[in-house]
Amino acid sequence: MIAKSLRDNRRALAWWSAGICAFLAVYMSVYGSVRENPETYSGIAMDKFPGPLKDLMGGFQDFQTGAGYLQSVVYQLFVPMLFIVCATLLANRIIAQPEESGTLELVVTLPVDRRRLVVERWAALVLSLLAVACVTLAVAWAVSVAVDMGVAFDRIAAAHTGVFLVALLFGTVALTVGAATGRKMLASAVVGVWVVTGYLVVTIGRSVDAIAWLKWLSPFHYYAEGRPLYDGLPVGDYLVLLAATAVLALTAVLAFDRRDVGV
Amino acid sequence: MTAVVQAEGLTKYYGRRRGLEDLTLDIQPGEIFGYLGPNGAGKTTTIRLLLDVIRPTRGLVRVLGGDPRDPAIRSRIGYLPGELALEGRERAGEYLRFLGRIRGGVAASRIDELAERFEADLSVQMRKLSKGNKQKIGLIQAFMHEPEFLILDEPTGGLDPLVQQEFLALLREVRKSGRTVLMSSHVLAEVESVSDRVGIVRDGRLVAVEDVAALREKAVRRIELHFDAPVPAADFQGLPGVRDLRVEGAGVRCTIDGRPDALVKAAARHTVVHLVSAEPDLEEIFLTYYSEEEGHRDRQESA
Ligand SMILES: Nc1ncnc2c1ncn2[C@@H]1O[C@H](COP(=O)(O)OP(=O)(O)O)[C@@H](O)[C@H]1O
Ligand SMILES: [Mg+2]
Repeated sequence: MIAKSLRDNRRALAWWSAGICAFLAVYMSVYGSVRENPETYSGIAMDKFPGPLKDLMGGFQDFQTGAGYLQSVVYQLFVPMLFIVCATLLANRIIAQPEESGTLELVVTLPVDRRRLVVERWAALVLSLLAVACVTLAVAWAVSVAVDMGVAFDRIAAAHTGVFLVALLFGTVALTVGAATGRKMLASAVVGVWVVTGYLVVTIGRSVDAIAWLKWLSPFHYYAEGRPLYDGLPVGDYLVLLAATAVLALTAVLAFDRRDVGV
Repeated sequence: MTAVVQAEGLTKYYGRRRGLEDLTLDIQPGEIFGYLGPNGAGKTTTIRLLLDVIRPTRGLVRVLGGDPRDPAIRSRIGYLPGELALEGRERAGEYLRFLGRIRGGVAASRIDELAERFEADLSVQMRKLSKGNKQKIGLIQAFMHEPEFLILDEPTGGLDPLVQQEFLALLREVRKSGRTVLMSSHVLAEVESVSDRVGIVRDGRLVAVEDVAALREKAVRRIELHFDAPVPAADFQGLPGVRDLRVEGAGVRCTIDGRPDALVKAAARHTVVHLVSAEPDLEEIFLTYYSEEEGHRDRQESA
């Protein structure tokens, strides 16, 4: 089952890895000119993103240092979002998409326990995302060396681990909704809403007291708050992400085991 | 011997919509059971309950003596879904090998042999298969692991006549090896030639279960005989089972009810030059049979 899912995913994985690598290469290689003309670039960034928009982009603090640039341009918004979209699409392939297209009916009649079916396909999702994460980490590291960013490998790896964990968490959200309802659109919508509100809460919402507590429900809080690029692996925060993922995966298994397929 | 299917009061509602109501049915080992009913009658619902795709609202179902939730029970079943979906870039042959592995190993030669019988091309990507070719792949995967119990939901839909013949031949082999088949259809003609028993569902209820051989005995057949010379009407009058007799010169027309034995023996006294026997329309008698039943029940209820 795991091998089969990985085989089915390989084309998508290749494209996503290539896409994210291209993104990383392009954005990170610009760093060379940013460092040479710090005033112009941070000036442009400040002008282009006034006030709250700047908050939304993570604030652009110390744009000129390697870590600051990486955080603002790469790890703040774009790379996590690309990973989350990739994870959601892959997760939808586990239950919801085959259920809607009708191919799941034959699969659930095979001599495989339904719980095992979900667990194995989820394991394939973990491995798939891990593969994309490893490939893109290698490229990120290579480019950062090439443009002389001066960020240690373990810090980039720590940030990348966070991206992987956040993507895995949202992928598992999609799986859980799909396993419980069999609806792909609903699963994507739940992920979308949670991503957007979660992201707003930890950026713009940070200064609004009334909703500040919501950050505890935002996966991004556990992702970026520990500042992995500066301080290394935020073990506690990442464990929270892992634990939430595990609970969601378990929910998916139990929900799918209980219900009718294809109705 | 334990029954292959045991259903007791099996009921399924989709929300408030009725799918199947109070089905009680036993299917014995070695039997080919034809499950008939118009579209929307509840055939697919029954079949999905037997395979644990959906769960009963009420009632009990046992398959091969166990609960279909148990993967070990399902490994002994071959299933062809009514609306078989196959898609993706994967080649049909690869998918069949994957299914074979999950089902505990199927020899490649077995898959090739079935593909040859159905003239299915296994090197085609599944998304490019036509409806008929998908159905062939579906049949191959249902038969390939030689399951004890085959569940086929409208298996002949989309198949061309030659492949249908091959399929019926395969079913006869299955019967010969003592395995059990449940196949659904909305026309009796499709299943009568291979079925031992047929059941009819309508509006979610099983309204009749009949032995096909017995049904055939009851069948009314039109027969025409032509002789080389005029025959006396008296020779054919009063023969058991012969009705609507018309003797005109050298020709005799009648319908017979049950066995044609007496008629054949009477005709043998003359020289027969031509004989026409219309196939009995089982469908017709089946339908009259169960509409009578219904009428009977209605009368009882109103009494
Ligand atoms: N997923 C579903 N949701 C709601 N109603 C359904 C569903 N599937 C079947 N039904 C209803 O159950 C009845 C039986 O359907 P089905 O078992 O598919 O019939 P058949 O296979 O004999 O054509 C029909 O009235 C149909 O509308
Ligand atoms: Mg049907």
